[in-house]
Amino acid sequence: MTLFTKSDCSLCNQLKARYDLAALKINVEELDKGGAASLAHLAWHSLVEDARKSLPLLVLDDCSTISDFNQIDTWLAARAGQAPDVICGKGPGAGCATGACSL
Amino acid sequence: MAQIMPLSRGKDYPKSLLNDDSTDLALFVRTTEEDITGWDRQRIVEALLRETLVDPDTAERISLEIEETVKNGAIRTITGPLIREMVNSKLLELGLEEARRMHTRLGVPLYDVEQLLIQHNKENANVPHGPEATNLTLAEGIKKEYALLKVFSDDVAEAHLKGDLHLHDLGFIDRPYCSGQSLEYIKKFGLNLPHALSMAKPAQHADVLLAHMVKFAAALQSHFAGAIGWDAVNLFYAPYLKELSDREVRQLAQMMIYEFSQQAVARGGQAIFSDINIYWEVPKHFEHVPAIGPGGEYTGKTYGEYEKDAQRFAWALFEVYREGDAAGRPFFFPKPLVHITEKFFQTEGHEKFLDLICAVAAEKGNTYFVFDRGETAKISECCRLSFKLEQSDLDDAKEPWKMRYSALQNVTINLPRIAYRAKGDDTRLFALLTKQIELAVKGHEEKRRFIEKLLDMGENGPLSMLAMKLDGQTYLRMHRVSHLVGMTGLNEMVKAHSGEELHESDEAMKFGLKVIAHMNLVCNRLGEERGLKLVLEQTPAESTAYRFAKLDLAHFRDQAEEMLQGNMETGEVYYSNSTLYNVGAPMGPITRVEREGLFHPLIEAGSITHVWLGEHQPDPSALADFVVNTFRFTNNDQIAFSPEFTSCLDCGRTSRGLADACPHCNSSHVDGITRITGYFTKVSSWNKGKLGELKDRFRNRFNN
Repeated sequence: MTLFTKSDCSLCNQLKARYDLAALKINVEELDKGGAASLAHLAWHSLVEDARKSLPLLVLDDCSTISDFNQIDTWLAARAGQAPDVICGKGPGAGCATGACSL
Repeated sequence: MAQIMPLSRGKDYPKSLLNDDSTDLALFVRTTEEDITGWDRQRIVEALLRETLVDPDTAERISLEIEETVKNGAIRTITGPLIREMVNSKLLELGLEEARRMHTRLGVPLYDVEQLLIQHNKENANVPHGPEATNLTLAEGIKKEYALLKVFSDDVAEAHLKGDLHLHDLGFIDRPYCSGQSLEYIKKFGLNLPHALSMAKPAQHADVLLAHMVKFAAALQSHFAGAIGWDAVNLFYAPYLKELSDREVRQLAQMMIYEFSQQAVARGGQAIFSDINIYWEVPKHFEHVPAIGPGGEYTGKTYGEYEKDAQRFAWALFEVYREGDAAGRPFFFPKPLVHITEKFFQTEGHEKFLDLICAVAAEKGNTYFVFDRGETAKISECCRLSFKLEQSDLDDAKEPWKMRYSALQNVTINLPRIAYRAKGDDTRLFALLTKQIELAVKGHEEKRRFIEKLLDMGENGPLSMLAMKLDGQTYLRMHRVSHLVGMTGLNEMVKAHSGEELHESDEAMKFGLKVIAHMNLVCNRLGEERGLKLVLEQTPAESTAYRFAKLDLAHFRDQAEEMLQGNMETGEVYYSNSTLYNVGAPMGPITRVEREGLFHPLIEAGSITHVWLGEHQPDPSALADFVVNTFRFTNNDQIAFSPEFTSCLDCGRTSRGLADACPHCNSSHVDGITRITGYFTKVSSWNKGKLGELKDRFRNRFNN
């Protein structure tokens, strides 16, 4: 599973703060730091246009995608619920505070 | 017959002949006396001092030595070019390479001219064979040399000559690459061109508007190297159609298509490379825009209120395309580009219109399907180029005559060669790719400076039409132009680097995506740094794919032999266009459209997937389903379906598929017709590389 993010994306940062994504076995790609490999990975999943509209994007093992922030949050919380000790943050995310939540 | 031609303008000639007007210079040369007494070595000195930086003593010395050679030699015929060659030889002997370069004479060998006059130049399949085409080719040849010597720096020119990259349309160095605009400009301002013998007020009638459109397009074609695209043609025509019956609208549609497809009297005897963008719906950004009607006056309505008339015209245009020309052949131009958007599917009657345009695609192949997903809006043209509209463009849409877009230049990178040089090393491959993009950008900056210089000369300069300011801004809006970076042979690059072609494994495909992602990021970074709108485009590569293949076969033979597509024995070699898969890969159309479409969001200035149909004529409803699914479930930017035809030059009939003989009269006097890159043309005009590709194309079938 891959969570596509950007380092200055406030919604992405909320998720990174709230969950121990590594423990959840979720690979985090920072699109502004990952260079061509990250962008190519995004393109492989047909998500470039989606990322231009909003970030974060979560790609599951079956290649399905969750693009709505609240749904990603819910999905991660459920996954973390299977292993509650990985929850390291709290509070639901609101909208993008910085306007940087897209590619 | 002895002939003396002055090296250049001489001091013995009237002052009226010594101005800077190139017309006078040409006349002067033609009227030179055929007399040896016209010799004046001082003209050599003057030319050297005027054109180079040599000192007067050296110029004097060279002139004396040349004079000596002329006097002593058994030269019976002496001409200006010969004297210049002798002077250049002296400059080389003296080690004055830069001076020799500055003193270069651009021209064409006698033998080459003779070949050109007789043989068909197939660099561009849209150029016919005839005296106008010969003029074009000869002029292009000289301008190409000029561009490589004077416009581009040595490293950029050398990269082009060696085939590391390709500077497109060098023969049109003094023009931008292509142009997209709206009919609103001529609707509002009439046909009012600088230095024209007459000017016309805004059209009062639909047929006059058509006349203005065609003439304006011809004038634009003389100022741009490539395509002339028109945005939302059916919508902007609509205010003129209100009072016309369906029959009259149909007649107008027929006139438009014939006018553009038959106008083989434009530059070089070519038809204008024309594109018309068509919408079934009224695009959101034009819905509330006040409509301009007859006489350039506002009609008091918005374009949103002209939907039905716009649809009538769109429908009529496609009925004409479906019929084809008098022999049933597809029209080559203007290319109809139908935008498929979310709103298309919400607009009444779209199902029937989709059936019609798919019938045209199945039967004649004309329809381009341009997918504008989400809020995307764009103007498309050329073989796949598109200008995505940004917020500032959508603001301009309130005054649509301002919507004028241009790509200033296209520079294409030879990707397989980078892989040959990288020898399997990833780091080296990406470093070399970056270096080539930087060189391409340098070329863009040089071309831009040259065009700016011409444009700054205003309405008395060579680009007076592009400098005209009828709406307060120059017609060519330099602050909005794009600079295209193209690619050729991604498939062969990946094969050379990883051992597999793009269609052969996910790993190969992922590496291909990484290459294009890298190009995208480097272009963005360099664009920001240099203040240029620098975007990737899938190069159509009609001749570039062949040129690169030939050059690589010459300079990287060991590696290229394994990678090239086509037939080396016949010389029909080529690289796969841009990011396209191997055209011969046996795969279904869905897979091809889906997989090739993965690249498209990374290539902002336009991409396409071709579905080759051969002689197969699919059911239009199968194509309609395919189009809808492509829009809904892929990232593909544009698709086109390409059937093949045989046109009999004896009985005049057209049949489906490519055949050696006419199935109707059995004549072997036939020509094939199909899509070369982005447009239909006669196969007899194709270059060898494209002929090789045609043989390899895997033709798809749709289950009817």
